[in-house]
Amino acid sequence: CSEYQKTLKAEDISDKFKMGETLYNEGEYGKANTLFAQIVPNYRGKPQAEKLMYLYAKSFYEMGDYYVAGYQLERFASSYPKSEKKEEASYLSAKSYYELSPVYSKDQSQTTEAIDKLQEFINLFPESDYVEEANALTKELSVKLEKKAFEIAKQYNTISDYEAAIKSFDNFIFEHPGSSFQEEAHFYRLDSAYKLAINSIERKKKMRLEAAKDFYIEFKEEYADSEHIEDVEDIAIELEEELQNYSSQS
Amino acid sequence: QNPNTKYTVGEITVAGNTTFNEQTIITYSGLSKGKEIYIPGEQISNAIKKLWGSKLFNNIEIYVTNIEGNVANLEIRLSDLPQLNDLKINGIKRSKQEDIIKENNLNKGVKVTENLITTTKNFLTKKYKKEGFYNTKIHINTVEVKDSLKTSRVNMVLNIDKGAKVKIKDITFFGNEVLEDKKLRASMKSTKKKNFLRVWKRSKFIDSAYQADLGHVIDTYKKNGYRDARILSDSLIVNDDKTISLAINVTEGEQYKFGEINFIGNSVYSDEYLKRLLRINKGDTYNSILLQERIADNSKPDAFDITNQYQNNGYLFSSVNSVEVNVENHVIDTEIRISEGKPAYFNSVSVVGNEKTNDHVIYREIRTRPGELYSKANVVRTVRELGQLGFFDAQELSPNFLNPNPVEGTIDMEYSVKETGSSQIELQGGYGGGGFIGTLGLSFNNFSIKDIFKKDAYKPIPMGDGQKLALRLQASQFYQTYSFSFSEPWLGGKKPVQFSASLSHTKQFGQDFTDYTVDKSRSFNITGITFGLAKRLSVPDDFFTLSQSIGYQRYDLNNYNTGLFEFGDGYSNNLAYTIGISRNNTSVDPIYPTGGSSYSASAKVTLPYSLLNNVDYEALKNERDENDVIRHDTNSNPDEVLAANERIAEIDQERYKWLEFYKVKFKAEWYTQIMKDLVLKPSTEFGFLGAYNNDRGVIPFERFFVGGDGLGNYSLDGRENVQLRGYPNNSLSGVDGGTIYNKFSLELRYPITLKASAKIFVLGFAEAGASYDNFKDYNPFDLYRSAGAGLRIFMPAFGLLGIDFGYGFDARPGTNSPNGWETHFIIGQQF
Repeated sequence: CSEYQKTLKAEDISDKFKMGETLYNEGEYGKANTLFAQIVPNYRGKPQAEKLMYLYAKSFYEMGDYYVAGYQLERFASSYPKSEKKEEASYLSAKSYYELSPVYSKDQSQTTEAIDKLQEFINLFPESDYVEEANALTKELSVKLEKKAFEIAKQYNTISDYEAAIKSFDNFIFEHPGSSFQEEAHFYRLDSAYKLAINSIERKKKMRLEAAKDFYIEFKEEYADSEHIEDVEDIAIELEEELQNYSSQS
Repeated sequence: QNPNTKYTVGEITVAGNTTFNEQTIITYSGLSKGKEIYIPGEQISNAIKKLWGSKLFNNIEIYVTNIEGNVANLEIRLSDLPQLNDLKINGIKRSKQEDIIKENNLNKGVKVTENLITTTKNFLTKKYKKEGFYNTKIHINTVEVKDSLKTSRVNMVLNIDKGAKVKIKDITFFGNEVLEDKKLRASMKSTKKKNFLRVWKRSKFIDSAYQADLGHVIDTYKKNGYRDARILSDSLIVNDDKTISLAINVTEGEQYKFGEINFIGNSVYSDEYLKRLLRINKGDTYNSILLQERIADNSKPDAFDITNQYQNNGYLFSSVNSVEVNVENHVIDTEIRISEGKPAYFNSVSVVGNEKTNDHVIYREIRTRPGELYSKANVVRTVRELGQLGFFDAQELSPNFLNPNPVEGTIDMEYSVKETGSSQIELQGGYGGGGFIGTLGLSFNNFSIKDIFKKDAYKPIPMGDGQKLALRLQASQFYQTYSFSFSEPWLGGKKPVQFSASLSHTKQFGQDFTDYTVDKSRSFNITGITFGLAKRLSVPDDFFTLSQSIGYQRYDLNNYNTGLFEFGDGYSNNLAYTIGISRNNTSVDPIYPTGGSSYSASAKVTLPYSLLNNVDYEALKNERDENDVIRHDTNSNPDEVLAANERIAEIDQERYKWLEFYKVKFKAEWYTQIMKDLVLKPSTEFGFLGAYNNDRGVIPFERFFVGGDGLGNYSLDGRENVQLRGYPNNSLSGVDGGTIYNKFSLELRYPITLKASAKIFVLGFAEAGASYDNFKDYNPFDLYRSAGAGLRIFMPAFGLLGIDFGYGFDARPGTNSPNGWETHFIIGQQF
């Protein structure tokens, strides 16, 4: 470590470069990064800068400092358009944005940005080996956005605001047609409509029961072997019983 | 050469006075050897633009130095911009110089451009004009530094001559016959003539404010029916260096009256209903300002006007306009044209910017839900309530209306929030009470208890579920206090049922009064635990809250005499259940409510032990009374007194083994706006502490102490301090406190400023109240009265601070002249 300290304080920039590279290869990214940061201004415009900037940017990625990594890698890729590392840097830059995406229940602007960056990469390097992984990451992020929308809609069901739940699930079903949450969304929409109808004021009850029944029919058609099917059938029976009260009238 | 010929770039050289690396400049310019370019062409001008863009160079030019075949050699000529070396500011105080450097970014090393000089000059001229220095002169000189360093540098001298402050000596109106000068001057809000009595606004002259004030003069005419009033001309007369006068020429025209007012296009609301909202009748003095306010009052978002009537009931796409349709004999017929549009429903509702707080904590508080009818009032209430959560910056909260679709009748809502720090850490040490006191307090207002075992969540603490967690440790030589509390606003996530739990332990040691050291053989411990549930109700309306809690305290005395007990060794338990109901719809600002009311009623009860435990309290009471006589009898010998004291201690231990009582309280306050911002706040409160078994007696705990600022400071015994200004703290109740009290109060409040950074208001009050030892003495007309005035300042960082001066009209117990003036400091109390 003392050698590192010495090099850190020394003047010779090529020593720092060499040592930084060695440390980088040994996995000491933090120390390497500190050395690189010192010499980056000195190498600006010089031929070795390409390698230095690559290692410097990538060391941020390896350290898990994805905020800076995303920026530095992107900058590397645009500064050295002919570099053989451009593809890797572009990918890792996009992946850095992916790493910054928070849990689904918080603000998702990072997620949307990550999806854009990954898609940009896929468009730019359609033949790349990374495309498969990039697609997987994009998918994962899209699922996160779907989960967010689904959970928000589901919360309206949980807090017994069934009208808001129905509207939100309607929106969800329409906006995320391929989502793996479709079945659940259909189920909770039916559940919300059922609970709204059962607890309804008399004036609107018949209309709401019928609306719930329509959702039941739709669910049955699409998800006949759903794990919820027993609950759904129970709901259907109760809806039918309640509707009996209205069949004789009017 | 032919125009626009294609060349290949050969060598590029850099010339001129620059310290930058040649290669760096070439790379930065975007030109490179071997590149094909047109000369003249875009690439060259782009390169120049790019170099300019760096803000590092001056005099940038690119030349073709040599052409061989189609290979062109280029030369970039430029020079570095000079850096600022030294700055001298003349003409103002040293303390203000720092600000100027900061505001204009005149730090050492910045590149000195023409732009920098011009903007600095403009900035300063404007700045001083705003402060009333109308004759400010700014001169900026730069001098090149000549020394051995390669970098070109300049010294800057900034001369500021503020000149004399310009004040307005007089404002005169000409041509005004109906309205007096005085009235017109009063309508000018920021342009005032010199007057020693005016404190808040100074008589400085600011042109932009003056122009706006000319508009206000015309508004005053319009309010009085003079629709045609105009300002013909106005002149500014320079009296001398320090003062100016303003002369304003007006023409008043004739006074107009309202004629017919017709509504067109309304189908949802009837003409009669809208007329009632308008409150303007045929024959009234014509007032276009008032008419506009009744249609849409832009100064108040929740005003009761026609536009809001539509906006609060779904008609987002509605518009209301008034049109003068006929003018005859100075009578104006008006048409109010309404386009109702389709009622709008919320389609999607979303939140952005919640980087820490989880969705579910926010969405459950939002009052505009998907599929609901649009209501402006609900949007306003949502913004207010999200602000009150304390997780977000209330000033940055904004509702965004997205994708309005008048055809479908839908609108998307997006609430943009910005997280703010909602955690506090308190770490302090100090001397007090004869020794060192250390305090460690942690309070997290947006905690996430479910994440406490997740390592990733520690950034730096698990946050985002809206739970409150507080820990506090305080210790000195003589006492230690530990407390912990937790609350979850939506227990189970289904209903707004707040769960809270708190735990505390206090250990107090005796003090050796001879040498002020701690005596650990004597101690007094209090341990308490409380669980509570508070439920927001939806019936009768959603301003009601039902709360219940159960609390337990144990007092343990170990050779420690307090005023509370007759015994120095022993214990006491307090297990009580509290149920309360409250309704609070005060609005809008929690610090300065201008409307609504708040009621609360609660009952705190213990089990009726005396009914169950077969102790004959009557016999004990008699025995205690006998012993009390003995110990106060001067004829008793010391042994008898000692024995009597011991027996009383034994009896009291029996009586207070488990505290037995019930306590009911009621409180109500109302807020009414009586004039523009003037608010009247009447309030009343009442409390009663009783015993199930009169022989067992009313406990010495939980009592009411009336008088003073009402701040709860030291409350080992669960006492309640009742504010009654104009008298010293607790002076209107006996040493043991009262068991019944009531209080009536009338407060008049007027705001000085209600800005978010600081809210200040003044108040005047008259109040009366008293406590009584038992129900037999209770007389709601036998009260201590007082009146006075005070000031409140609320700043987010400090909370509420206030001072009140109160005059007590009555003599307090034990004296026989009026109590007179008292000063009270109010800290952190939301009154």
